[in-house]
Amino acid sequence: MNRRETLLLVGSTLVGVPAMAQETPRRGGVMTVHFSTEQRILNPSLQASTGVYIVGGKIQEALVDLDAAGNPTPVLAESWESSADGKSITFKLRAGVTWHDGKPFTSADVAFTAMEMWKKILNYGTALQLFLTAVDTPDPLTAIFRYERPMPLGLLLRALPDLGYISPKHIYETGNIRQNPANTAPIGTGPFKFVQYERGQFIIADRNTNYWRPNLPYLDRVVWRVIGDRAAAAAQMEAGQILFSPYSALAISDFQRLARDPRFEVTTRGNEGNARTNTLEFNFRNPILADIRVRKALAHALNIPFFIENFLGSFAKPGTGPIPSVSTDYYPAGMPQYPFDVAAANRLLDEAGHRRGAGGVRFSLRLHPAPWGEDISLFATFMQQSFAQIGVRIEIVRLDAAGWLRTIYNDHNFDLASGWHQYRSDPAVSTTVWYRSGSPVGAPWTNQWGWNDPTIDQIIDNAATELDVPRRRALYADFVRRAQTELPLWMPIEQIFVSVFNKRLRNVANNPRWASSSWHDTWLAN
Amino acid sequence: MRIISLAAKRLAASLPTLLLILVGIFCLLQFAPGDTVDAMLAQMGGGDAAIAADLRRFYGLDLSVAEQLTRYLWRLVRLDLGFSAIYGKPVATVILERLPATLSLMGASLSFAFAAGMALGVIAARRVNRWPDTLISTLGLIFYATPSFWFGLMAIVLFSVHLQWLPAGGFGDVAMGYTGARRVLDIAWHLVLPTLTLGLIFLAIYLRIMRASMLEVLSLDFVRTARAKGLRETRIITRHVLRNALLPMVTLIGLQAGTMLGGAVVVESVFSLPGLGRLAYESVVQRDLNTLLGIVFVSALLVIAVNFLVDMLYARLDPRIGA
Amino acid sequence: MRRALLAYIRNPAAVLGAALVLAVLAMGLAAPLLFPNDPLGLAGRPLQWPGANPRFPLGTDPSGRDIMAQLFHGARVSLLIGFVATLVATAIGIAIGALAGFYSGFVDTVLMRLTEAFQTLPNFLLLLVLVAVFGSQIETVTIAIGLVSWPPVARLTRAEFLTLRTREFVQAARVQGLSDLHLMLREVLPNALPPVIVYASVVMAVAILLESALAFLQLSDPNVPSWGNLIGLGRNVLRVEWYVSAIPGVAILLTILGVSLVGQGLNDALNPRITGR
Repeated sequence: MNRRETLLLVGSTLVGVPAMAQETPRRGGVMTVHFSTEQRILNPSLQASTGVYIVGGKIQEALVDLDAAGNPTPVLAESWESSADGKSITFKLRAGVTWHDGKPFTSADVAFTAMEMWKKILNYGTALQLFLTAVDTPDPLTAIFRYERPMPLGLLLRALPDLGYISPKHIYETGNIRQNPANTAPIGTGPFKFVQYERGQFIIADRNTNYWRPNLPYLDRVVWRVIGDRAAAAAQMEAGQILFSPYSALAISDFQRLARDPRFEVTTRGNEGNARTNTLEFNFRNPILADIRVRKALAHALNIPFFIENFLGSFAKPGTGPIPSVSTDYYPAGMPQYPFDVAAANRLLDEAGHRRGAGGVRFSLRLHPAPWGEDISLFATFMQQSFAQIGVRIEIVRLDAAGWLRTIYNDHNFDLASGWHQYRSDPAVSTTVWYRSGSPVGAPWTNQWGWNDPTIDQIIDNAATELDVPRRRALYADFVRRAQTELPLWMPIEQIFVSVFNKRLRNVANNPRWASSSWHDTWLAN
Repeated sequence: MRIISLAAKRLAASLPTLLLILVGIFCLLQFAPGDTVDAMLAQMGGGDAAIAADLRRFYGLDLSVAEQLTRYLWRLVRLDLGFSAIYGKPVATVILERLPATLSLMGASLSFAFAAGMALGVIAARRVNRWPDTLISTLGLIFYATPSFWFGLMAIVLFSVHLQWLPAGGFGDVAMGYTGARRVLDIAWHLVLPTLTLGLIFLAIYLRIMRASMLEVLSLDFVRTARAKGLRETRIITRHVLRNALLPMVTLIGLQAGTMLGGAVVVESVFSLPGLGRLAYESVVQRDLNTLLGIVFVSALLVIAVNFLVDMLYARLDPRIGA
Repeated sequence: MRRALLAYIRNPAAVLGAALVLAVLAMGLAAPLLFPNDPLGLAGRPLQWPGANPRFPLGTDPSGRDIMAQLFHGARVSLLIGFVATLVATAIGIAIGALAGFYSGFVDTVLMRLTEAFQTLPNFLLLLVLVAVFGSQIETVTIAIGLVSWPPVARLTRAEFLTLRTREFVQAARVQGLSDLHLMLREVLPNALPPVIVYASVVMAVAILLESALAFLQLSDPNVPSWGNLIGLGRNVLRVEWYVSAIPGVAILLTILGVSLVGQGLNDALNPRITGR
């Protein structure tokens, strides 16, 4: 090799431009996806969960989606603006869009979906649209949302990619919405058209030849394979029978192993919008836990970095409070923390008057871990082991999903509980509700601890209707400071879902909620 | 015609048992913490109290237990199994969709266990106390002692992961879109490991019973007479001994039908098969009462039917029973 | 009795079975001596291979716990569960079978319908429902296993009682005016027990299997170092660290093998009909 060639070779390696960036997308191919938990319905206008978006998000579309930088980008809505008082938000809709059955998409669909589905049935949509009074439709391409109280435009736009899916009015206007067969055979405007759902086996969707984005999608077909068992899914990934496994659906050890395999990419890229924190919830009805010294002692007893490194394979980071670091708009740094300090933990418990008794045990507590996610049960075991070091004996109580929800949030029959808090792009959507008082008994993932704080209630309410962005940010910083000081619950670990891709797939993970997004530009290389 | 009237009589006699089972399970599940709406909220990742109350009304859960039970039984009398909360479809449809997988698995396992158990039991009995007998009996014991799910997992590790001979699970390869004979073969290929796993313990049982039964019959007078008459050993076995030795085996099928369905829950879980076993497990976890009771009803009917067929077969095999 | 014992000892398979059971028993008894620390406590880095670290001869599980410690402590749990569940099942089964066989008529019909109901329902399904309702604590699980295992014991006891009821010694005792209860407990039951005791070994084997199946499905008590729990934990790491599931599986296999051989040995010793051995 001569000098010139050597320089070129070295140069290209240093620049590191991936050859992929210059490839032309190939048309055709079947994308097979790991579908781990079957859902009762597939319509994202009626159910807001990642389990629905993985399928429904390709068939139906929302008013907006997120772009690569995480900002709202037009989908079915082309533009938007808010009135000065924040009580009217106007969306200009896209022209020339048709439903999969050929009927045109109009503002009537938006009005119907918002009033009948988002406001009445959609979980988290009901809270978000609580003050929505009407949606005016002066013409087929304009929808005006009228609110009783000011709705911050930023909040709405950030929530709409998840909570803004549109369903066809002409399909749902007759009969009971919940029993409509379209719920398991969705009709939408998206790049893929529903074909078949074989319960327990697979879902198939084919390319929408009349998609409003020209010459898209690239893929011919998407097949979701129902695989409940993690080990089986990993085996199928390696055999090439599935090309994509979303939402941390494989075992942690499989992530580590597949990451070393050059055929696969194991990453949190594309899931930044789906952050969650692991929770440790305290029941104040147990007088031991009502003492803040005890709560702080328990927090100090956990070596979180050790746990993350050794048990979560470093696919997580230490949490700092209810608002995770992915939230660039609201994440407040410098809040009160509780680092690993066994001496401090022991001292706090001694101060609280809990001396060590027989066998070095001060007192016993029951811990109820949620029955989903491998990390939750690993964390529960780790907590049991760690708390034993400071003289707290833990009994782990196992319940299934229905039993767990009922026992914790309705019966309040627990001492400690541990689960996930899902951060949905804005603190007002599903975060502050963990701290605000007033949620009815039985409402899951809300403040059911037997604790309330009027100050924090006030901060939360003010922030939800504050239109000025910097002021809103400051209010949420206050909220986090108070939450971390009072510590009614603790959120020590922050995680982003892990995706596993077969590298043949291209244009993947190009927005922060890619797995839930529409995949209109995804293509399959040979 | 007689068979139908016999069947009808058997069904009528089993009605009290059926009723007992259904009412029993219904009442038992009322004590489970959480209902189907809680399971649904868990799946949704949240929801407020208004949604929950609305859903409870929708599923008829706001009625009293007695009222719910009465409604259920009244529907059952008209052979209406109700609506599945999980699937939003009639329970009958859901069960029919899952039936092929379970029936294929159980049928294949039973046939495999019966045929192999019979063959191995005969060989062991013929070579009693010599090395084939010792080997077969020992293998039988080991199969009996092996936890089925553990065997399934180890089989996956060996045959799917390391050797890559057989698929790791599923009921056929969906993305391929096979049809007709190709699809049947594909499904059969996917059922090899599950059949082996489920059939293993029953193979061990049939093996032992067949061997013991054969030995007992071989020592009876009529066999010695046949030998004295100079008949060939194989002819003696097939014509005379087998018929009598099969009787306990056939009885056993009836007894094992229920256990096999229970074993199917675990095997279907390990191999991701869309069968009734997994459906039953799902309906317990999701508190879908209608589906669970529907499965219990169908499986009870299956057990009763199998026992009935067994009795018919028994009568044909044993001429001493008035047939 | 002596004759039965001699027949048992002369049976190599039965002796092997007894040896296996005694070995497991020894493991369980030695556990607190050899592994005094909490077997479920954090011992080291998770997922170390057997032999990689001299401190952990059988490696560590996904939660960093010593597999060998769990194996030994698990022996106590498995044997205890098997034993107590068998006791529950046998007690219920004998009670129901005795009453049905002794009294016949209406009592028999009702009790047999009940038994039939329990037998028609797949026992694992009933177990799932019981665990969903009453919880996963080890005491609850053990009783639940006993509750789904009694029907065959009842049928066996009933059959024995039906035959023995008409025997002369019973008639003689009845003529003497002894009460029904005395007849059942003092005259019939001791003669009916041997086949039931032998069958109890089958019940025990099934009980251990049922508990491990429940643990595999993550439905058993996580505060207890049972073998089934370990298999369940190993399910996620089956692909590479298959030893986490393999080792406890072998332990279960050998235990059940031992119990079955003991049962078979007892059967052969107590019923010396020609079975070819």
